[in-house]
Amino acid sequence: MNRLKLLKEQDAKAFVAYIMAGDGGLEKLSEQVLYLQKAGVTAIEIGIPFSDPVADGPTIEAAGNRALKAGVTLDKVLKEMASWTFEVEVPLLIMTYLNPVISFGVERFAKECKKARVSGVIIPDLPYEHRQLAHTFLKKEDVALIQLVTLTTTDKRLEAILQEAEGFVYAVTVTGITGARDQISEDVRAFTRKVREKSPVPVYAGFGISKVQHVDMLREDVDGFIVGSAIVEAFYNQTIEEIEPLIQAVTAPHSV
Amino acid sequence: MTKVKICGLMEEQHVEAAREADAIGFVFAPSKRRVSIERASELAKLVPVSTEKIGVFVNASLEEIEETVEKVPLTMVQLHGDEPDELVRAIKVPVIQAFSIRHKEDIQRLESSAADFVLVDAPGTEYRGGSGHVFDWSLLERAEIEASRLILAGGLNAENVEAAVIQTAPYMVDVSSGVETDGRKDEVKIQEFIRQAKGDSMQQTVEKTGFFGKYGGQFVPETLMKAVKELEDAYMEAKDDPAFKQEYHHYLSEYVGREQPLTFAKRLTDAWGGPKVYLKREDLNHTGAHKINNAIGQALLAMRMGKRKIVAETGAGQHGVATATICALFDLECVIFMGEEDIKRQQLNVFRMKLLGAKVESVTKGSSTLKDAVNEALRYWVTNVEDTHYLIGSALGPHPFPTMVRDFQSVIGEETKRQIVQHEGRLPDTILACVGGGSNAIGMFYPFLKDESVRLIGVEASGEGLDTEKHAATMTKGTEGVLHGAFMKLLQTDSGQVLEAHSISAGLDYPGIGPEHAYLADIGRVEYESITDKEALEAVVSFSRLEGIIPALESAHAIAQAEKTAKTMSEDEILVICVSGRGDKDMATYAERLEGLA
Repeated sequence: MNRLKLLKEQDAKAFVAYIMAGDGGLEKLSEQVLYLQKAGVTAIEIGIPFSDPVADGPTIEAAGNRALKAGVTLDKVLKEMASWTFEVEVPLLIMTYLNPVISFGVERFAKECKKARVSGVIIPDLPYEHRQLAHTFLKKEDVALIQLVTLTTTDKRLEAILQEAEGFVYAVTVTGITGARDQISEDVRAFTRKVREKSPVPVYAGFGISKVQHVDMLREDVDGFIVGSAIVEAFYNQTIEEIEPLIQAVTAPHSV
Repeated sequence: MTKVKICGLMEEQHVEAAREADAIGFVFAPSKRRVSIERASELAKLVPVSTEKIGVFVNASLEEIEETVEKVPLTMVQLHGDEPDELVRAIKVPVIQAFSIRHKEDIQRLESSAADFVLVDAPGTEYRGGSGHVFDWSLLERAEIEASRLILAGGLNAENVEAAVIQTAPYMVDVSSGVETDGRKDEVKIQEFIRQAKGDSMQQTVEKTGFFGKYGGQFVPETLMKAVKELEDAYMEAKDDPAFKQEYHHYLSEYVGREQPLTFAKRLTDAWGGPKVYLKREDLNHTGAHKINNAIGQALLAMRMGKRKIVAETGAGQHGVATATICALFDLECVIFMGEEDIKRQQLNVFRMKLLGAKVESVTKGSSTLKDAVNEALRYWVTNVEDTHYLIGSALGPHPFPTMVRDFQSVIGEETKRQIVQHEGRLPDTILACVGGGSNAIGMFYPFLKDESVRLIGVEASGEGLDTEKHAATMTKGTEGVLHGAFMKLLQTDSGQVLEAHSISAGLDYPGIGPEHAYLADIGRVEYESITDKEALEAVVSFSRLEGIIPALESAHAIAQAEKTAKTMSEDEILVICVSGRGDKDMATYAERLEGLA
């Protein structure tokens, strides 16, 4: 059974941590996964580096460039994950741009994901309209294709996307690219509330989430949070323990 | 993959529901689904540009058919009567001839049809033109008819269409009553039929709206989808609005200085000793290249959509200058992203943009060239999408950009076609244009695509040589992939990382190629050749001295290839070169690379 199906049953808020595969060398990946699952994250999103990451801000792009320089490829990441002998306790996700997947072969990608115990895949430049390109193959291997919805998604599209949502819905909380921010705009709350009302699966907020006050502001309107740039930066600066309060703030039972 | 035609449309909402279909049909013959020419013409405005508009007739006269084709306008004609072969051949657009299938003998009649396509149907009852009954598909199994000519009709519906497609593998399926409820079209049934007919696999995904064959699409982050869809709708509406067209052509003539001459190059013709050579003079446009044709069109569209902020990328700086120029003219806010490397190579153009009031942002990522400038422009657009239009400079990016840029640049080919007929009384034998992303080439080629006697050659940059890593020859060395919103051909590594392209010409060093070019290469309609930096520079010198025109480095690639191609042609043939821009912007490169020129 796909681990993502267990997510909705949890009471606490989810914390999804994004890391760039191979930033600092591919051998770091298992260390980082073990660290994060011990720190109590709900799921881990493993980013595949790409030469032209148009949805990403400078932090993740720089991490991707470091990983590319270290020779990291989609193939190597999936092989590395498949070779792990330790117990993976949380769902693992792959976040990749479409071109490396096409180059690798979509069907082969789906099969290798399965072998690597990947529960879900996020492809930011594969919109709902073109999802069949990957969905058919992923479905066969019981790997979820996570859909993104954004502040600019029209109501009609939102309904169509949510109707077929699997795993969780990735609610993009900024009109822009990934990266840590000081503020989260007020209309984000209305947006996440709307998405959550209609969604059959958990709604996780991502893009620009880096501080406890972001979490406090959206807590009541989402099922979880996705934190990327802040974690990538912390691993790079070897200050990852500073992220733990953020993980605690999200996952600790919360009384209102 | 099998195409879908929805026939007998009469109402707006049904035409809308059929957007994903490949063809729609209007019935002009007696039928309960009959429409007038005027009505069909109104409805046709809602049909995506890539969709075939087919008129159905029963024993109409040639005049009647021709008038309808022109007025709606129709792209194909479907005949359901006893039309003679002469009539079939006299119709200028592609013709579908329909046959009712009762027995094996009926199959023989369709095998000998003079039409481009044959449609097979069950016999009609009250009116001619199909009854909605299914015939025995197995009758077709032994027919000597190419599947690429076969259109299947008769009693199809969402439930049986998949089986019909598997059994007969037709070019297209045609449905009318099968998508109706109580004698009226039904939006839900129309969409369900299309879905069932097209199936659900990868190949099928790749042929819907915004695709040229398998290339194109809208592979952009969700944040941009609303803007891309809005742009698509706005463009579809604007392109058929006479007032919009008029305004666009007004600026082309009064501001850009069109139409540009098609100059007979006498000395070049003599020097090459082959065909008569004509030059399409895009170098004479205001700002010095073809880029402004597109910049004007898109800026007018942006204003029509209520957007007064423009972001653009530029390689050589020509598109940046054209965009900055138009933004000055229309008082629009303008941000241009340009790779640091290109800023160094094209300092003059950088200053021009600044002088015109644009903000030039230097891009230091990746190879610091055009590809990286597009990345940054896309990021800027994602962040400012609500009030900003991305004025892309080539026939690239997500749908509708490749189509829209092509349409705005088609003025090049349209003028050329008219002019060459004035000069020579006939179409040219060969046309050449340089290709980076491919906008001047597609604009030049597009009006000639259906004229099969005209050989079309796109010229890429092979930089320091195809056997080195420093080239931009996407067509020769590229493989399929997705970059900047479209499925196309790309220079990339085995693991799908996009490579840096190289050319001495800043306008050609893009690692991808417009999706329509990729398609035209696949179907063999356009040939693609490549020219090295060195060959292009040599062409700059000889062309300047023979014709008194200093060409842009990009255009010099087309000129260099034209010299090679001319060697294979005879004196009674005609060759046209698109001189996409003038060389002013390249003077620093020329001075450096041609040092010691005597």
